[in-house]
Amino acid sequence: MGEGIKLAILCCNYTNLAEREDLYEVPARLEIKRFPCGGHIEITDILRAFREGAEGVCVCACEQGTCHNGKGNERAEKKVVGARAILQEIGISPEWLSFYYVPRLDAEAFVEDVKAFFSKVLKEKVEERGK
Amino acid sequence: MIIAERRPIPEILENIAPYSRVLVLGCRGCVAVCSAGGDREVAILAEAIRLAREREGKPIEVIERTFMRQCDPEYLEPLNELLPQVEAIVSLACGVGVNLIADLYPSARVYPGVDTSFYGANVALGKWVEKCRGCGDCIIDKTAGLCPIARCAKNLLNGPCGGSQGGRCEVRKDMPCVWHMIIERLKERGELERLLEITPPKDWRPAGGDGLRIRVRPDLA
Amino acid sequence: MEPKSHLHKVLSSGQFAVTAEIGPPRNADPEVIRKKARLLKGYVDAVNITDCQTAIVRVSSIASAVLVMSEGLEPVAQMTCRDRNRIGIQADLLGASALGIRNLLCLTGDHPKFGNHPMAKPVFDLDSIQLLKLVSDLEEGRFANGEEINGKKPVFFRGAAENPFAEPYDFRAYRLAKKIKAGAQFIQTQIIYNVERFRKFMEECERLGLLDKVYILAGITPPKSLGMAKYMKHHVPGLEVPDEIIKRLESAKDVREEGINIAVEIIERVREIPGVRGVHIMAIEWEEAVPEIVKRAGLYPRPAYEDISYPFVVEKVVEKVVEKVVEKPVEVVVEKVVEKPVEVIVEKVIEKPVYMSIDEAISELEEGMARGEIPFETLVEILASLKAGLKQIRSGIESVEETMRLLEEEFIKKPKGSPATPITKKEEIKKEEPKPAKFLEEKVIEVSAPSVEVKEEKPEVEPKVEVKPEVKPEVKVEEKVEAKPEVPPEEKPEVKPVEKPEEKHEIKPEVKVEEEKPAPKVEAKAEGRAEVKVGGFKGVYRPISERAKLVPPDSYLEKATGEIKEVVIGRNGKSIKVGGAKGLNFHYFEGEFKNPVRIAFEVLDVKPEDWPESLAKYYSDVWHDPALWAKKCVEEYSAETVCIYLQGTDPNGLNLPASHAVEVVKKVKEAIDVPLIVWGSGNAEKDVEVLREVAEVVGDRGAVIGPVVEANYRTLGATAMGYGLPVIASSPIDVNLAKQLNILLENIGVSLDKILMDPSIGALGYGIEYTYSVMERIRLAALFGQDTKLACPFICSIGKEVWKTKEASMPTDEVFGEQEERGVLMEAITGVALAIAGGDLLIMRHPLAVKLCYTLFNALSEGLQSSV
Repeated sequence: MGEGIKLAILCCNYTNLAEREDLYEVPARLEIKRFPCGGHIEITDILRAFREGAEGVCVCACEQGTCHNGKGNERAEKKVVGARAILQEIGISPEWLSFYYVPRLDAEAFVEDVKAFFSKVLKEKVEERGK
Repeated sequence: MIIAERRPIPEILENIAPYSRVLVLGCRGCVAVCSAGGDREVAILAEAIRLAREREGKPIEVIERTFMRQCDPEYLEPLNELLPQVEAIVSLACGVGVNLIADLYPSARVYPGVDTSFYGANVALGKWVEKCRGCGDCIIDKTAGLCPIARCAKNLLNGPCGGSQGGRCEVRKDMPCVWHMIIERLKERGELERLLEITPPKDWRPAGGDGLRIRVRPDLA
Repeated sequence: MEPKSHLHKVLSSGQFAVTAEIGPPRNADPEVIRKKARLLKGYVDAVNITDCQTAIVRVSSIASAVLVMSEGLEPVAQMTCRDRNRIGIQADLLGASALGIRNLLCLTGDHPKFGNHPMAKPVFDLDSIQLLKLVSDLEEGRFANGEEINGKKPVFFRGAAENPFAEPYDFRAYRLAKKIKAGAQFIQTQIIYNVERFRKFMEECERLGLLDKVYILAGITPPKSLGMAKYMKHHVPGLEVPDEIIKRLESAKDVREEGINIAVEIIERVREIPGVRGVHIMAIEWEEAVPEIVKRAGLYPRPAYEDISYPFVVEKVVEKVVEKVVEKPVEVVVEKVVEKPVEVIVEKVIEKPVYMSIDEAISELEEGMARGEIPFETLVEILASLKAGLKQIRSGIESVEETMRLLEEEFIKKPKGSPATPITKKEEIKKEEPKPAKFLEEKVIEVSAPSVEVKEEKPEVEPKVEVKPEVKPEVKVEEKVEAKPEVPPEEKPEVKPVEKPEEKHEIKPEVKVEEEKPAPKVEAKAEGRAEVKVGGFKGVYRPISERAKLVPPDSYLEKATGEIKEVVIGRNGKSIKVGGAKGLNFHYFEGEFKNPVRIAFEVLDVKPEDWPESLAKYYSDVWHDPALWAKKCVEEYSAETVCIYLQGTDPNGLNLPASHAVEVVKKVKEAIDVPLIVWGSGNAEKDVEVLREVAEVVGDRGAVIGPVVEANYRTLGATAMGYGLPVIASSPIDVNLAKQLNILLENIGVSLDKILMDPSIGALGYGIEYTYSVMERIRLAALFGQDTKLACPFICSIGKEVWKTKEASMPTDEVFGEQEERGVLMEAITGVALAIAGGDLLIMRHPLAVKLCYTLFNALSEGLQSSV
C-alpha cells in the first residue's frame, strides 16, 4: 500500500539523470531535490524535507572517489548520521532516512536504490502498524 | 576553548513546551568553533524544533539569530528588540552566555541549548579533548606542560599511582597516564629530580573552592 | 610516649613479620569481622582492614579495626584519599588514634569507577604521599594547615603501599623514596607472583639506600582458583601473573592446595631477598588459608603478644563486655528462668546450636561458668534471644510449609493438607504409564532408545501407581478421558534405531506392539538394515483451555484480525486447497483453519546426481523416469501433491531445453492424478522460457508454477494469469521484498489468492532461525497487522535445502550417527519448524521425513477436533 507514501530524494546534481518516469515502478509520490553537490546537502535540508511531508528521505551521493569536489559525497553521508541522531531524538525512526552511494549517470542503480529504500519505508510502516 | 555539546532535544522541547514563539540564539565564540552553537547548529535546532512541534500538532514559530558573543553585554543588546517578539530563548552559548542573559534580562525565559562540558582542544576533526580544568593555580611549569589536575583521574600531584600500565590509565584505557608522560618527558630533559620533591597538597580556593571567582584589572576597570 | 604497636615491635626487633588482610562486610554485621579476626588470631602480627576496597561500600576501616581489637588482634587501619577531604581525613585519624588504633596504611585509593558507586564524586583532595606527610605532621603536632594540636597528638606506625609491577618501572623505587620521605615506616607491596621483577625492584631500593629506612613486607596472595589467577593476570592493572602459575593451577588436582603451595613457595623465595622484612598475605575472600600458609612457611608460632592496652576498646568495652557476657552468676538465671541445674540447660542448648552469635555466646557462657559467675541480665538476654530465634525459625518453617502447600495446590492438584510430592517423581511415573496416548508435552521424537528402564520408585509413590495404573497418579480427573489408548499404535511417530529393542520391553507396551507389526511399507522396502522407522506418537493432546485452566482465556487468546488467503491447486476434482488460516499455525484454539499443513513430494526431471544413499534407496529404482517416480510417490507414499523440480533446465547445469521440461511434465501429468507443482530452475530468464511452455501443457489440469521473482514477474505473472494458474512468488528471505513482489504481481493483475509465497528457506543449521523469524513476521503482519498484501500461504522448498547440506549426506560415523536417520531428522525438523512458523505447503523428499511430519501434524490437528 505504498500509493500514499511520499518520498523525498535529495541528491547531487551529478549523481544521476534519472527522471520521474524512470521511477514509475516505485508506487510512491516522489520529490527529487537536486543539489550542486552531496556536500551541499545540510541536516536542515533533510529535516525540512520531513517537515514538508515526506515520510521517507533518501540521500544519494556519488560513489566513493567520484565526487567532483573531492569529498562532498562523504560529507553527505556524515550529515545523514547527524540527521538520524536528531530524528531519533524527536521520535522519528531513523530508518526513514537512508543514504546511498550511487554510481554516476547510472539511472538503473539509482532506481534500484530508490526501490530498496521504498521497501524499507514500507517495512517501517508495516512494523509501526504492527505496534 | 570552552567545549559544549547539544542538549538532548526532548529536554529542550520540554522546556519550551508552553510557548509558541521562541528564539534560538547562537554564539559565534567557542561554541561555534566546537560546532555546538554556531549559525549552522542554530539552523538545525530550529528546524528540528519546528519538525517536532508540527508532528505534535503544536506548530511553533522559531526565530534564528546568532550573536558575535553572548558573554559580553554589548553583544547582547539586540535582545532588547527581540525579546518582545518571543516568549522564550533557547541559547546555544556556553553556560556563561545563558547566565549573562539571565542576569541582564531578568524577565527573559532563557533555557540552555547545550551542555557546557570542559576546556579542551580540537585534536582532530570532530574530536575535542580536555586539557585544563581552570583550577586557578597553574602547576604545569613543573610537569612538563602536562596537567595532572585535568588529565589524571585521581588528580594526583605525586603520581603515578599503581594503576599505570603500558602508558595507559587504569581508569580508562583510552586515556594515557599523564604521569607516565610527565616522567618520560622530564627524564628526557634530565629533570627528573623535579619529581623527587613532594608536591604539597593543593590550595583549592583558586579552583572555585572559595565561591564565585572574580578577576579585576585595576588598570582597565 | 605511646608504646609501639605490636607490628612495629616485631619489625623493629628484627623478626620476620606476618600481616594479613580482612575485607569488612557489605552490611552492618559485626560478627563477620569478629569471625575473620578469630580465624587469624595467633597466626599474624597484625591485620589490615581495607577502606572500602575497590571503591565498594563496606563497614568502615576504623570501625572494623575496633571490632578486630576486641578480638585481641592488632589492626592496621587503612585510609584512602578517595572519599574524604583533608578535614574528614584528619578527623578520622584523630578518632582512630583515640580508639587505640596504632597502625595506619596510607593509600590514594581505588577510583570510584571500579566500585559500586561509579557516579560518586571522587574526592582526591590529597594523594597518598601527601597523606603520609599529613600523618607525620599530625604526630609532630601540626594540622595540615599548620595549626598546632593542643593536647594529645595522634600516634601511628605509618605504612604505605607500593606496586613494583606498575609502570614506569624505573620510577617506582624513586616514588618509594618519596613515600619514605613523607613519613612511611613500613611498606606493603602489591601481590607478587613475578619474583624476579620484585627482586629487581628491591635491588633498586637498595641502591637508593631505602632498605634501612623502611620495613618492606612482600605482598602474597594464594590463588584460590584458576579463574581468579586468570582474572588477576588479565584484568587487574599492575599485577603480573606469570604463565607458569597459570599452568601449575591448570594441571593441579586440587587447585586450592596448589594455590597454598604457590603462596608458600613465593614466601620462601622473597624471604631470601635482602630487605624483605615480612610478608603481607592477602587471601582475598579466603582468610581460612592464612593459618595454613603461615604454618607451612615455617612462620608459626608468631611472636608472643604482650598486653597492649587499647584505650577505648579493651579497657572499657571489650573487657567489660566480654567479661560480662562470659562471667557472673549462672545460678541466678537457673533459678529464675528455668529452675533447673544450669549444666543441663547449657548442654541442651549447645546440642542444637541455632545462631552463630548465640552459639558463640553459649560457648563463652560455658567458659564463664567454669570460671565462676555470669551476670544474670546477660543470661536472661541470651535465653530470650534464643527463644526469639527459635520462634523465628518456627514461623519460617511454617511459611515454607504454607508456600509448599499452595504450590502443590496450584500445580499438582492435591487436596489440601496432604504432603507434597516432589515434582521429579511425577515425571518418572509418567514414563511408566501403560497408555499409548498422545501427550503434547512429551518428546515427540526419540532418536535412540536409551534410558527408559524402569526406575525404582520411592516407596511412598508406588502404592498410588498400583491402585490406578491407567491414570497418572497425580493428575486431575479430566485426564482420564483422554488417557484412553485410543490411538492405534502404528500412528506413533518415533524414529528408533532398532539397535537395542529388548531394553524397552518391560516398560513401554506400545513399543512392543510396534515391533510386532513393523508398520509402514517403506521400512520393508529399505534394503539391508532396516534402521530407520517412524514409530508412534506418544502423549495425549490436552486442550489449552485445560492446560491454562488457571489463567483467564483472554490473557492468552489473541484472535487474528486477518485471514490467510486460500489457494486452490489443480482442477478437475482432484484439487487441493492450501492456506486459509485465521490464526498462527497449530493455534487451533485461536481461530478457524480451513486446511491442514500439506506436503508435496519432490520429483526431479533428471536423474539426481548428488543424492545420498539414504534417499537413493527409496528412489533409485524409479528416478530415471519422472513419471514412474511420481507414481511411486503417489501410490506408495500416498503423496497428496507432487512437485516437479526442473533442475535439468538450469543454464548453469545441463541446460536442457524447454521441450524437455514439457515432455517431463506431460508424462508426469499423465501418470498421476494429484495436483502438480512445477518448480523451475531458478534462473529468471530461463524459467520464463520454460514455464511459459509448461503452463500450456498443464493448463487444463492446473498447477502451481514458479518461482516468480522480481526480474520475471511481468512475464511469468502474465503467463500464469493466462492459464489461470497460481504462482510461487519467490523472494530472498525478507518481509518487504516478499510484500513488494506480491504488490507487483497484484498490480499486473495476479490476484492474491493465486499466490504462494516462497520466502527462500534455510535448512536446519543453515539459517533456519532467520527463515523462521522472517516467516513469522510476515505471518504476524498478515494476521494481526492488517497487511493483506502478505496474507498468502507459504510454500517451502524444504527437501532441496536440507539434502544439499553436507550433514545430510555425510556417511554414518560415530560422531554424527547414522546417515539416514540424521537426514530424515534434519528434513523433518526443518519441516516441522517451518510449519510452525507458518508454512502451509512443504516440498519434501524423504518418505520417512514426510511421514514423521504428517504424524505430528495429524496428532496436533487431532487436538483441533478435541480441543477448541
